[in-house]
Amino acid sequence: MNIKSKNLSFNFPLATMLTLTLTTATMQVNAQTQSRPNILLIVADDMGYSDLGSYGGEINTPVLDQLAQQGMRYTDFYVSPTCSVTRSMLLSGTDNHVAGLGNMGELNAPNQVGNPGYEGVLNKRVASVAELLQDNGYHTYMTGKWHLGLKPDQIPHARGFERDFSTLVGGGDHFDDGWNVEWQIPKMPYTEDGRPIKKLPKDFYSTRTYTDKTIQFIEEGRKDSKPFLAYMAFTAPHGPLQLPDDWLRRYKNRYDEGWDGIRLQRLARMQKMGIVDKDANSADRLFFLPRSTAFTPAVRVMQGRKMELYAGMVEYMDEQIGRVFDYLKEIDEYDKTVVIFISDNGAEGNDLRAMVAGQVGSFGFLHAMNNFAENGHNSLGRKGTYAEYGPLWAQVSMTPFRAYKGWVAEGGIRSPLIVSGPGVKGAGGLNKKAILHVMDIAPTILELAGIQHPDTYKGREIEPMQGKSWVGMLNGSTQSPRSPGDWLGWELFGNRAIRQGDWKISWLYEPFGTEDWQLFNLAEDPGEQYDLTDKFPKKREELIALWDEYVETNGVIIGARSPFEQASKQLPNRVPEFDDYPPVRGIEAVPYKKLIELMGGGSEDKE
Amino acid sequence: MKSTNRHILIPAVLSTMAVFLSFSGKALAVDDGARAYWKARDGTTIVSLQYLNLNMQASDAKQFAPNQYIYPNADTEANIMVASWARHMTLLNRPSSLSVNLVAGSVDVDASGSLDGQFVPPGQTAGTAFSQSSSGYADPSVQIDINLAGTTPLRSTVDLLNYEPTWTVDAAVMLGVPIGEYDEDKLVNMGLNRWYGRLALPIKYHFGVFSPGYMSSFEITPSVWIFTENDDFLGQELENDPLWQIEAHLTQDFTPTFFGSLDLLYRSGFQSEIDGVEVGDDVDIGDFGFTLNFQSTDNLMIRTSYSSNVFGDNDIDNSLLRIQFVYAWHPLTENSKKLRTGH
Repeated sequence: MNIKSKNLSFNFPLATMLTLTLTTATMQVNAQTQSRPNILLIVADDMGYSDLGSYGGEINTPVLDQLAQQGMRYTDFYVSPTCSVTRSMLLSGTDNHVAGLGNMGELNAPNQVGNPGYEGVLNKRVASVAELLQDNGYHTYMTGKWHLGLKPDQIPHARGFERDFSTLVGGGDHFDDGWNVEWQIPKMPYTEDGRPIKKLPKDFYSTRTYTDKTIQFIEEGRKDSKPFLAYMAFTAPHGPLQLPDDWLRRYKNRYDEGWDGIRLQRLARMQKMGIVDKDANSADRLFFLPRSTAFTPAVRVMQGRKMELYAGMVEYMDEQIGRVFDYLKEIDEYDKTVVIFISDNGAEGNDLRAMVAGQVGSFGFLHAMNNFAENGHNSLGRKGTYAEYGPLWAQVSMTPFRAYKGWVAEGGIRSPLIVSGPGVKGAGGLNKKAILHVMDIAPTILELAGIQHPDTYKGREIEPMQGKSWVGMLNGSTQSPRSPGDWLGWELFGNRAIRQGDWKISWLYEPFGTEDWQLFNLAEDPGEQYDLTDKFPKKREELIALWDEYVETNGVIIGARSPFEQASKQLPNRVPEFDDYPPVRGIEAVPYKKLIELMGGGSEDKE
Repeated sequence: MKSTNRHILIPAVLSTMAVFLSFSGKALAVDDGARAYWKARDGTTIVSLQYLNLNMQASDAKQFAPNQYIYPNADTEANIMVASWARHMTLLNRPSSLSVNLVAGSVDVDASGSLDGQFVPPGQTAGTAFSQSSSGYADPSVQIDINLAGTTPLRSTVDLLNYEPTWTVDAAVMLGVPIGEYDEDKLVNMGLNRWYGRLALPIKYHFGVFSPGYMSSFEITPSVWIFTENDDFLGQELENDPLWQIEAHLTQDFTPTFFGSLDLLYRSGFQSEIDGVEVGDDVDIGDFGFTLNFQSTDNLMIRTSYSSNVFGDNDIDNSLLRIQFVYAWHPLTENSKKLRTGH
């Protein structure tokens, strides 16, 4: 990731001067101890753009909606297409190709292995924001998903978190069985305060336990007056979609009407809320997905069950976040806490379960047989099951965008962003002007804490942050931390994109792309439906030149292999019907229930 | 989809008709069976064929079965076949089922003790041992079961997908039709020569996950049997008080296609009178047993069970072995198979 900023070249000498010695910084910190805010950084895992009520979703999220009412929402906030990559930028404030996650560690291509920026872990070319805050008078706590390294010098405790209760890997069982999605590491490794956890408590449920630990850490750290950074990296609603039993049917039958209707309802609400412009192009239903009314009610019930679980996980997370807020209010710290809520990437539309289970006879299959083979309709969501809601619902979660997690289309990289707390002006507002990026968060936190990013850390040179602090935007002095000429870049799995202002170019593997650069105007076409290459060839060339700069600046190496290189063969064929083809000949004028009755000769439920 | 369809079908297959028996000889040992009142989709048809082997040894005590009596110092063996047809439907907007049972077989009695005067059939002498047999059709019966609470009608696949019952309460009414083979000169008969019926209140509690491989239930069915008068019992009139019965099962899935059950059957009452004079004692028999049930295909289920009396006041020993084949289908499921297989 790269930000080209005129301010950047000015700020670094200044920063260098201000952080010549640790002593200077420490003095500064001591002077500001009483006024520096707590930071509560909350990251959802694989949650979509439009899932929260405050972003148009029908999922019940009163706590985060209330947070949005107290603070600000932002429409153009970007992350990476996948989790560990985003997390590397979140904690380092710089591009993933610099911070060590040029590719996901699990998927490094042969020509990437061993190169700087492709360590597959948060490397030592950067200092984590936790390390800097820890050294400057903050308590630093982390709960949840790390995914930035497994070795002792790579884990949260080694990278700046004084207290942690973390899973080191990318995803797995939400209960105490603790199986990991990867057969190579069959059990999810957990650490607490830097020490491995041999066995999870019996009542372990990820979201609840992470919340318990967060509250515990804050409570136990209250003995002094130091502010805290609490990083809550929930593993919800990442698959497997699992819930405590009493939450399994919270959304029972809520999604039986199918994906199309829910998506249209979300879009209408987003338009009403001003999140999406009414005259802007939203993405069509993904080309390989059928319309929901093509299926019998039973099929929609079965597919809807998965979305029920997903919605339940989102609401459960919301409720647990509410517990933390309640606790902070109880100890009179809520008003001193800046809360930042994001998701780490687009909603998950890939069938990760099928990917990890592999082929019959493989180790992945054996792993699945041992741990998550159960998939009965009424079993889904319980221990031993591995439900994913797939592209049908991922496209709903990413309304109004195209594609989903893994891709650099907007559906893979757009995230909700809510910021609230002291110094955040414009309660209940919606900022549609600012183009923001996850690597902005670290410099924002540092500025809020009154800490300058150093050139060196523990005797080693570290890379400068490329993100831009939002403090000016939060306090209302500017609408955006970026000028019109600033730009953002992405590359993952060979898919690549550049955004500058309203313009975006992207290179995507087929079938989501053409394996050539396409040009979109996101102001008019956030759904990336119309390639404007022929209309604006010069703009396309300008952005391609920025891509070249991005590669050069960040040391990007396009992988010789990509998990998406055969996506066109792996994804289903285009469905043979579209919204406007075959032509409507009157049958759709018949109410759907009547149609079913006519076809089945019985009640509306008969198939 | 493939696996899900299978899961849709399994509850339909597991839901059984009310298997009911009425055969002369020592009939009290037969229950409805585990999961007899589980629900199936409206339109599901189930046919069943079961073989029962009942052995009973009675001591001096003189006891009666619903239709006949237990002969003192008698060894009894019955071999019975029961063919059943059942249809699940919706009645009064409630899940219901109608079942019909045809019963045939044979029963053999060897009594070494003395017979009281009331029980002496023609050709026999009071106070001597005797042997007698009977074979042929017994009385058929028809039963209707209707759910009172705990679930909505299961008219569609959607209803089945949403079917996660906890408590269910049914009411079942059975009527036995006295057309089975009966010889008024014999002590041992296949038919009862009298109308009879049963009122039952099947109650189920499902616990755990209602998903194949995980389903568990506790089932209890209190019921009462009522008999009219047999006006030609060896030239005498036979009357019986109602027979009170409690049947209970604790069932557990072992795999998606294999479940087991612990079975309990307790009966009391049924005081007999011959020509207005009480004979014998009340029934007081408790049987305990187990059932194993294997679903071999989407349609076919094979079941076996064994039970024996383990408590009660009566001085008898009995055992019941049952082997049952159940075949179930629903037109839409079968049509779906046709479409998929091209047949």
